[in-house]
Amino acid sequence: MTALLRLDNVSQTFNRGGLLSGQRIDAVKNVSFALAEDRSEIFALIGESGAGKTTLSRMVLGMQRPSSGTLEFEGRAIPTAPGAARRNFMAKVQPIFQNPFEAFNPLKKIDRFLFLTAQRFGGAARGAAADLAVDAALERVGLSLAEIRGRFPHELSGGQLQRVAIARALVSKPHLIVADEPVSMVDASLRMSIVNLFARLRDEMRISIIYITHDLATAYTISDRLLIMQNGAVVEAGDARAVLSAPKHPYSRALRDAVLTLDSIGLFAAKRTSNRVTEDRDVK
Amino acid sequence: MNTAVLQVEDLRAYFRTRYFGVKREVRAVDGVTFEVRADEIYGLAGESSSGKTTLVKAIAGLVKPPLQLVDGAARFSFLPGVRTLATASPDVVRAVRWSRLSYIMQGSMSVLNPLRRIRSTFDDFARDHIAGSAAEFERAVLSHLGKVRLDSSVLDAYPHELSGGMRQRVTIALATICNPQFVIADEPTTALDVIVQREVLGMIRQLQQEIGSSVLFVTHDLGVHAALTDRLGIMYGGRLVEEAPTAQLLREPRHPYTRHLIASLPRIGTQERRDGLPGGPPNLADPATGCRFHPRCPIAMDVCRTVAPDLRPSGDDHRVACHAEGAGP
Amino acid sequence: MWRIFKDLLKHNGEFRAGALLISIVVAMAALSFISPYAPDVSYVVAPDVPPNASNWLGTTSRGQDVFWQLTFAIRNTLLFGLLVALLSRLVALMVGLLAGYCGGWVDRVLMSVNDTFNVIPLFPLLILFYFVLRDRMSTPLLAVLMASLGWAYDARLIRSIAMSLKSREFTATGIFSGMTAREILLEQHLPYIMPIVFSTALNNMNWSIGLQVTLAVLGFMDIETPTIGSMIYWANQHTAIVAGIWWWIAFPVALVVMTFVGLFLLAVSMNEYIDPRSRLAGMEGASQ
Repeated sequence: MTALLRLDNVSQTFNRGGLLSGQRIDAVKNVSFALAEDRSEIFALIGESGAGKTTLSRMVLGMQRPSSGTLEFEGRAIPTAPGAARRNFMAKVQPIFQNPFEAFNPLKKIDRFLFLTAQRFGGAARGAAADLAVDAALERVGLSLAEIRGRFPHELSGGQLQRVAIARALVSKPHLIVADEPVSMVDASLRMSIVNLFARLRDEMRISIIYITHDLATAYTISDRLLIMQNGAVVEAGDARAVLSAPKHPYSRALRDAVLTLDSIGLFAAKRTSNRVTEDRDVK
Repeated sequence: MNTAVLQVEDLRAYFRTRYFGVKREVRAVDGVTFEVRADEIYGLAGESSSGKTTLVKAIAGLVKPPLQLVDGAARFSFLPGVRTLATASPDVVRAVRWSRLSYIMQGSMSVLNPLRRIRSTFDDFARDHIAGSAAEFERAVLSHLGKVRLDSSVLDAYPHELSGGMRQRVTIALATICNPQFVIADEPTTALDVIVQREVLGMIRQLQQEIGSSVLFVTHDLGVHAALTDRLGIMYGGRLVEEAPTAQLLREPRHPYTRHLIASLPRIGTQERRDGLPGGPPNLADPATGCRFHPRCPIAMDVCRTVAPDLRPSGDDHRVACHAEGAGP
Repeated sequence: MWRIFKDLLKHNGEFRAGALLISIVVAMAALSFISPYAPDVSYVVAPDVPPNASNWLGTTSRGQDVFWQLTFAIRNTLLFGLLVALLSRLVALMVGLLAGYCGGWVDRVLMSVNDTFNVIPLFPLLILFYFVLRDRMSTPLLAVLMASLGWAYDARLIRSIAMSLKSREFTATGIFSGMTAREILLEQHLPYIMPIVFSTALNNMNWSIGLQVTLAVLGFMDIETPTIGSMIYWANQHTAIVAGIWWWIAFPVALVVMTFVGLFLLAVSMNEYIDPRSRLAGMEGASQ
């Protein structure tokens, strides 16, 4: 049975420095996982900055070739060179980026990208058909074409823009969405509406989502399986709830314990019986 | 009774710009009153467009056009007679900066000169404020660095040779070496890894206890506030909407915004469905009339659309700005 | 676009001054079309007459009216500058955008070519061309030559902007929306690059006019078609300063200085507009 996405011992090494003093940086080391084709799921990639998550996502999107290992989408190698294969791939695999204000050109209207996706990947002709496709996608995220038409990025809030970005990704009816830290730059009060949207996309539209994040709490809420990365390598993987409730690897444990939520009240509370130690320093 | 080290009274700071003939006034801080007491960590929480960053800048005296201080005061107990740092004379500010009042900012690189070794940076900032010979100064610096668990090798390094977490710890050491009475911390741990953040927060509390200073800690992360702060103020639309001791505020929030914010935050261990707030952040250039939150408030009444509620006491050391919550027991 | 000029005119003193100077210069050039004297004839008026009521700027030793000569001279000089700026911008844009966006070997090859052109000593090369071409060196040919030598520096500038734009996320969004490379460059990236192109164009004009004047003054150019440089050349040939015919040199120099200063002021004043951030702030202000 072909998997939707299969990674097999994927590694990425960067070479920094000149001819004489090169430095090899292993951004991704031997990562393997697979997403099933017959059911949609949310697969979380968890790690801190420098863990290799973004490099991995770029390889999955075909924006970068791996140094070694294979990546396959629906049974075929992920195309990186421009051409028909790549266009077919892009219609089925769409990205969502971290900064909603950067995902669109600040100087241009945002609906342009929406209409283009509808025409190039959504099979819609120009005019009314494209309008319909775009409106349908926007409705799915709780917006409408009437609200978005003619607007510039700075006219919307971060939460709204991110939802427009998701709508754009939906226009081509993709099978897989790669979301790189999609809510980390969105206000906390608006985050859950986007996170819940992802869950709806999985359940109603049967789209699988690779959800890259460093925020364990949202990953716990919606992901089905997850992978924890440290310095480019996988340290733990498995069912989301199982791993986060009882992590086995020391790094996963440290990560889970370090997360501060509203349950962490008083963790660093003042100790009232303190020995005030102020060193005798003549302060001018 | 704890005396206030910082007293903010009806502070107003607006951004007034004029680009190519278009005038714009953004009411970033629109009438904020609160106090920070001695020996406490006061947290300031808020999302985008809440005004918390501008409030901190106004208090710290970092007011440059297009930002203007329009009204109000931010008095420090160690500067009697000075209404705001922004209007004080440069001599007064210089005498106070780093010895009585210091800052920990989000980007450590805004404080650490990338071209100078850490030792030189310490020299630049603290030498003037600490009496004694050069050797005594170095000893003092080393012992202070030990409090943030950094050793002497750090002194000879350049900032880019240290990790982000180490740089932030150096920044904290710099801010606290002269035993300041007041420390302003603006998102000091936001850019750090979760594991490093936990360490650094512990150090901040430890130093605060040892020196007995007051800290104004600003971050959008309520988890950090829960763990660290003694009292917490919630900002929305340029105004303070609720304030109480942290544990109390998080367990029994009284303002609709706070209630919904807390309800919408996910936690590990429960998959209970949480919803985000409807609508979007307020537009400070064209704020709503009356209560700034009323367009998104589930219990908005007619009065909320026209009259802005004052921050009124409601319970033990608890203040709320909401028409639905009157002054109560 | 028009609104921007109106705004700049209203609020920016430097822009106003630059616009005024350039308007005068352009007006002079336009007047050449109604000149009572053809540009290439000589001894049509009394020579060496100082400025007076009928010859506003005096006459030359060759019997030409300085004012009307000047109108032709400044017209030809301006057109020359415009042609060089236009051609060299086109080359710089193409090279810069391709090198910046494609990267890899395309970038390396283009930049090697670019750097070669950058280090070629212009002046000796132009003189060499003159000596080879002699009388066949016309002003348009010189314009093409200078355009082909004057793009290298700005191509690198454009390339660096193109490189930074490539790594911005909206470029990736464009790619995943099905945009071709050409569409991305022309539609999404160009608005960020045009301001630089425009301001370097103004500087480029100053550079090419200056170089052309130098060449003409030295006689390394077609000296029959009147340009600012050729006027000064002829004035020198007739030792005008020594002979006391100061108006023959002073007015061309004054006019070309006015051109330089005007173009410079325009370029400088547009810098505030060039920064996309200030433009964004202007947009935000207008829409709220």
